[in-house]
Amino acid sequence: MIKKSIRNWALVSLTLMFGATLNVHAAGGYNIEFERVNNDVRDKESLQRGAVHFVNYCMACHSAELNRYNRVARDLGWTDDEVIAKLTYNTLTPVDMMVTTMEPGVSEDLFGIQAPDLSLMSRLKGNDYIYTFIRGYYQQEDGSWNNSVLEGTSMPNVLEGVRRHSTEAEFDQFTTDLVNFMDYIGEPSKVQRWDLGWKVIAFLLVLLLLTYLLKKEYWRDIKK
Amino acid sequence: MSELQTTKTNEPGGLLKWVDDRYPLIDTWNKHVAQYYAPKNFNFWYFFGSFALLTLVIMIVSGIWLTMSYKPDAELAFNSVEYIMRDVEWGWLIRYIHTTGASAFFIVIYLHMTRALLYGSYKEPRELVWLIGMLIFVVLMAEAFFGYMLPWGQMSYWGAQVIIGLFSTIPFVGPELAVWIRGDFIISDATLNRFFALHVIALPLVLVILVFMHIVALHKVGSNNPDGIDIKKHKDENGVPLDGIAFHPYYTVKDSFGAVLFLIFFAVIVFYAPDGGGHFIEAPNFEPADPLKTPDHIAPVWYFTPFYAILRAVPEPFLGVVAMGLSIAVLFAMPWLDRCKVRSIRYRGNSYKILLAILFISFIVLGVLGALPSTPLYTKLAQVFTILYFAFFIILPFTSAHEKTKPVPERVTA
Repeated sequence: MIKKSIRNWALVSLTLMFGATLNVHAAGGYNIEFERVNNDVRDKESLQRGAVHFVNYCMACHSAELNRYNRVARDLGWTDDEVIAKLTYNTLTPVDMMVTTMEPGVSEDLFGIQAPDLSLMSRLKGNDYIYTFIRGYYQQEDGSWNNSVLEGTSMPNVLEGVRRHSTEAEFDQFTTDLVNFMDYIGEPSKVQRWDLGWKVIAFLLVLLLLTYLLKKEYWRDIKK
Repeated sequence: MSELQTTKTNEPGGLLKWVDDRYPLIDTWNKHVAQYYAPKNFNFWYFFGSFALLTLVIMIVSGIWLTMSYKPDAELAFNSVEYIMRDVEWGWLIRYIHTTGASAFFIVIYLHMTRALLYGSYKEPRELVWLIGMLIFVVLMAEAFFGYMLPWGQMSYWGAQVIIGLFSTIPFVGPELAVWIRGDFIISDATLNRFFALHVIALPLVLVILVFMHIVALHKVGSNNPDGIDIKKHKDENGVPLDGIAFHPYYTVKDSFGAVLFLIFFAVIVFYAPDGGGHFIEAPNFEPADPLKTPDHIAPVWYFTPFYAILRAVPEPFLGVVAMGLSIAVLFAMPWLDRCKVRSIRYRGNSYKILLAILFISFIVLGVLGALPSTPLYTKLAQVFTILYFAFFIILPFTSAHEKTKPVPERVTA
């Protein structure tokens, strides 16, 4: 009975997974292949660097308004004082949300649209999209900038200076750290989720064995 | 005789007696659990009923806790869900349990219905069990639809727009009806508020009552089994079916094992793939609802896609709605469309096996097509498989009446 159950379960889950991948491949719809970002949300040093890059280069216009500084501090291994010193130059308090200092309406005046909130960008578009996008600026014949992911984007090439003053490896690291931080703010509980999951499953596996033995014991008196 | 004596000596005392004198506690327990005799040959497929009940409980409990922090307000809804994900203690876990539960519910229900089709569980005398079950399925779809709107993301909003738009295709009353449902000319705060009310109280209440009736009806006629034979034909001197075993303890321990197995799969999704590859939680829903910005591709959640594909396969919108409605309604008629006396697929003829294979394949193919953007090729395919889907129900009454069946055993086999 148990062998059959497991086999059937495996079949059902395989079918489901097959269906899922089928659809994922069909989705997308962008003309270019995304660069794969190799980031790790467990890497706190990378997240710390990414957080600093994020406030320096993104938050002039964008917010990440679903995130609170003290939560970022807790998850990235900073104290409340450190997070305020490093990310806000001591202008805000730990319970404040990560909101841009740009006055309302300025973004529309300068770029024609409100710069979108970045809290959930990694979940909306995916890490590879963001990675390719921020690295995807190229200079056109007339000298103006365009982007290979989002043609005609209103966002200026804010990382132009970083790219010019760093080696290829340094720029890879810079953008990876930045995407890593955006991955983190998309789902701050991700690491906690991964770390709890296997414990729950391990517990259930023990329980599975016990319930199986219990079932076997009771069913001994049932004649086939 | 010995049976009777043990019952006598087991007369309750104390509090249990006090309660039992005023409420049929022991009677109910015996009737539905301890002395409900189920066939002893249940296989893997018979887990899904108990899984569905377990999922219902999971959804109600996680739903109650979500309600404690969720705000049914167009201005606040989206951020309140992210507040649950970020600031509420264990909020992310509660929410992922609820989103995973929604998809798990449909996986379990679809497999539960598959079981009924395989073993003829809808046939006489279980027609009402099937009809109540179908009602549960329809209410569950409505419940899932209302719930999907609550996070107030782009897909929540535009999915609801499409589905409610279906009502406006109804001749004469359509547009007024759609306004009446929305409570506004577009999907808005008023719509969100009433859908919240329907999702958290009205439909769950109906679901619980229907599930209760489903089980009561089942226990009146007795469970079917993989052999599709009547175990009540052979009873021992105490009136207990020879091939029946008491639900408690035998199936309570077996279903406990099944429940843990189910929870393991459930936990793998909750902890390691809560998005379900973009199918359980769709990426566009991480953008707040914007009535002025239509997404490039609106796809319903996976469990609605087969019906959505049927809707899109028909060129005329209203007829598409009719076809979609029919594709669900026709399932209600299964007990009367299938005229074969033999229940289980084990002893049925090839015609039913072939027809059933066509039904399953078309349902899955339609499900995939319904999730994809429509192209001329996909629309053609959807049309072909829509015809095949309905072909099952049209051909079945003719073939099943003179099906070449195999001899059915007297007693259950292993």
